[in-house]
Amino acid sequence: MKNKRSFTQELLPQQILEIGACTQCGECLKHCPVQDVTGNPSVSPPEKIRMFREFISSTEGLKSRIFGSRDVDQKLLDDFTRAVYECTTCGACGQNCPVGIFTQRLWPALRKEMVKHGLGPIGVQANMPKAIMHSGNPYDKPASERYRPWFPERVKVVDRSEIAYYAGCTGAYEAEPMVRGDVLVLDAIGEPFTMLPPEEEVCCGFPLFITGQHDQLQDLITRLVQGYEARGVKVLICSCPCCVNIMTRDWPLFYRKPLPFTIRHITQYVSDAISAGKLRFRKELRETVIYHDPCYLSRGVGVIEEPRNVLRSIPGLTLLEFERHGPNSRCCGSGGAARKVFHENAIAMGRLTIDEAVAKKADRLILSCPACYAKVNESMMGHKNQIRITDIMELTSSMIESDWP
Amino acid sequence: MGKILIAAAYGAFVVFLIRFLAYWLIWRKTVTVMRLGKTAQTVRPSVKAFALTVMDVTFFGRLLMVNPVLWVGEWVFHVSFLLVLLRHLRLFLNPVPSCIWWVQTPGLIAGYFLPFSLAYILLVRLLSKRERYASPANVFLLALVLVISSLGVVMHGLFKPNLVDVKLFVLGILSFTPASLPESTLFAIHFSLVLVLIPLLPTHIFFAPIVMMEARKREQALHLVMHEK
Repeated sequence: MKNKRSFTQELLPQQILEIGACTQCGECLKHCPVQDVTGNPSVSPPEKIRMFREFISSTEGLKSRIFGSRDVDQKLLDDFTRAVYECTTCGACGQNCPVGIFTQRLWPALRKEMVKHGLGPIGVQANMPKAIMHSGNPYDKPASERYRPWFPERVKVVDRSEIAYYAGCTGAYEAEPMVRGDVLVLDAIGEPFTMLPPEEEVCCGFPLFITGQHDQLQDLITRLVQGYEARGVKVLICSCPCCVNIMTRDWPLFYRKPLPFTIRHITQYVSDAISAGKLRFRKELRETVIYHDPCYLSRGVGVIEEPRNVLRSIPGLTLLEFERHGPNSRCCGSGGAARKVFHENAIAMGRLTIDEAVAKKADRLILSCPACYAKVNESMMGHKNQIRITDIMELTSSMIESDWP
Repeated sequence: MGKILIAAAYGAFVVFLIRFLAYWLIWRKTVTVMRLGKTAQTVRPSVKAFALTVMDVTFFGRLLMVNPVLWVGEWVFHVSFLLVLLRHLRLFLNPVPSCIWWVQTPGLIAGYFLPFSLAYILLVRLLSKRERYASPANVFLLALVLVISSLGVVMHGLFKPNLVDVKLFVLGILSFTPASLPESTLFAIHFSLVLVLIPLLPTHIFFAPIVMMEARKREQALHLVMHEK
C-alpha cells in the first residue's frame, strides 16, 4: 500500500515536538500496563515513537523534500498500527516521562493519523461509527433499553432543571449497578435533576475520539449540548471518567464555543453535598476498602480527592491505597477501546488490580468507572483471587437508606 | 590518512549542520503555530512552572523523580561531557579566551568522570533487572562516547600526542588550510570516532525544553480542568 501522505496533519504542533523530544530512555515501560502483561517491548511507547519518526522522515524529512516522498514500509505501518491500538491510552507512560510527553493525548492523535491513512482502527473498533449512527451507542443496543433495566421507579426526573445527569453508554448497558447508584444518590441529595430521553442521550463521542474516528463527533456533541441547553441545564453531572474527560477537554472544541454548562464528576457533586449536609449516611460499614483511580479521571482531569472524601465520609470505613494511586494509578485494562480487540491483555491487567487489592487485604475493591467495573468483574471470573467489587456510588447509595427496592 | 580525515570532518560537520537546521526549522515553524494558536484560555506559564522547567533542563528533575539510580549517572555524564567540550575549545580557538582557561582543571577532572559515568549508565541500562528497555541507537551512542572518552583519558595519562600538532591540525580544518595529521594513532582513532559521533548527535533533543515547559504548565493547570479557580 502506498503511503506518501503527511503523517503530521492531524497532530498539534506540540505533539510534533513531543515526538522529536522523546529520548528513547524507556522509563515509561516500567509503568506501562501493556508491558506488565505482554512484556513485549515492540509495542512500547519508545518503539511507537521510533516507528512514527520513520513515517515522518519518509514523507516529510529533508531527503524526502529534496528527492520526493518515499513509500513507508508496509510492515512497519502494520506493526505501528497494532502497537498504537494495543495501548490502553492510560497515559501512565507520560506521567512518568523524564521529558513530560503528554501521551494520554498523543496516542489518540496518532490513532487519528492512522485512520486518515486507512490503517486504523482495528477489529471490532471499526464497527463503532456504524453502531453509534444506528442506535446512538457503540454497543448497538436499543435506546429503549438504555434506562429501563436499571432506573429505579421511585426516582423522579424533571423535564427542566439546572442540574442534569448523563448516564453514558457503558454505564447504562454494561455497569448497571453503577448508574443505578448514581441516580439513587442524586435523588437522595434532593436537588431536582433532568435527563435526556434515552433516544436523545447518545454516545458522548469518547469511543470514536479514542479510536481516531472523528467524523461523527461534531454532530453527536452538538446534539447533546443543545439538548441540555434546551432543558436549562447549568451543571451536567456524569460518573463515567471517559465521558467526563471528553466533555471537559474536547466538547468545547467540537462545539466550537464554550459550553453553556459546567461539567462535574458525580464524586465532586456528592462530596460537596456531604460537606453541605445535604447527604447523610445512615449506616456504618466496618470494612477495609481499596479505591482504584480511573486513568481518565485522575491523570485525565485531576479528580483525585473527591472520591476519597466520599469514601472517608462513610462511618466505620477504612480506606487503603494501591501502590500506584492518584495521578500515578495503574490501568485496570479497559482503557483506550483496546479491550475490544486485545481481550486477553485487558483480563490480565484487571487481574493485576484484583491481585494487589487482595494482597493488601482489602475487603472490597471500589471503582468509579463503568469500563473498569465491567472489565474487572469479568477479569475475576475463573481467577484464583476473588474480592467484592463495588462502584463508589453503588456503595454510597447502599449507605444512605436501607429500605430501597 | 590525514586528507581522508579532513574530508570526513567537513562531511560530518555538513551533515550535523543540515540535521540541526532541519530540526531548527521544525522547531521554529511549530513554535510559530503554537503562538498563533494561543487563545485567552491558553495557560500562561507561572513562575513556578518556569522554575520547575529550568530544574528539569539543568538538573533532569523529572528523571530524578522516576529513576534516581539512573539520574546520578546521567547527570554526571552530561555535566562532564559539557566540561570536557569546553576544555577542548582551547584546541579550536586562537587566542584562547580566559574563560576557557578557567575550565581547564574542572574539564580535566570531568574527563576522568566521563567514562565512569558512561560505564555506569550502560551497566544500569543493560544489566539492571528493573530496566525493561534499551534503545539500540542510544546504547551505540553511549558506547561510542565511552570509547572516545576512554581514549582521551589514555592519551592524557599515558600516550600524550603533541598538542601543538593537534591544535595546528584542528585550526587547519577550521581555516580551510589543512595541516598534517599529528603522529599519534590514538589521536587518529579518537578524532575518527568523534567524526562518527557528530552526525549521530541527537539534535532533536533541543525540542525537549519546550515539551518540559508545556508539561509543567499542564501539571499546574490539571487541577483547574474540573475545579473552580
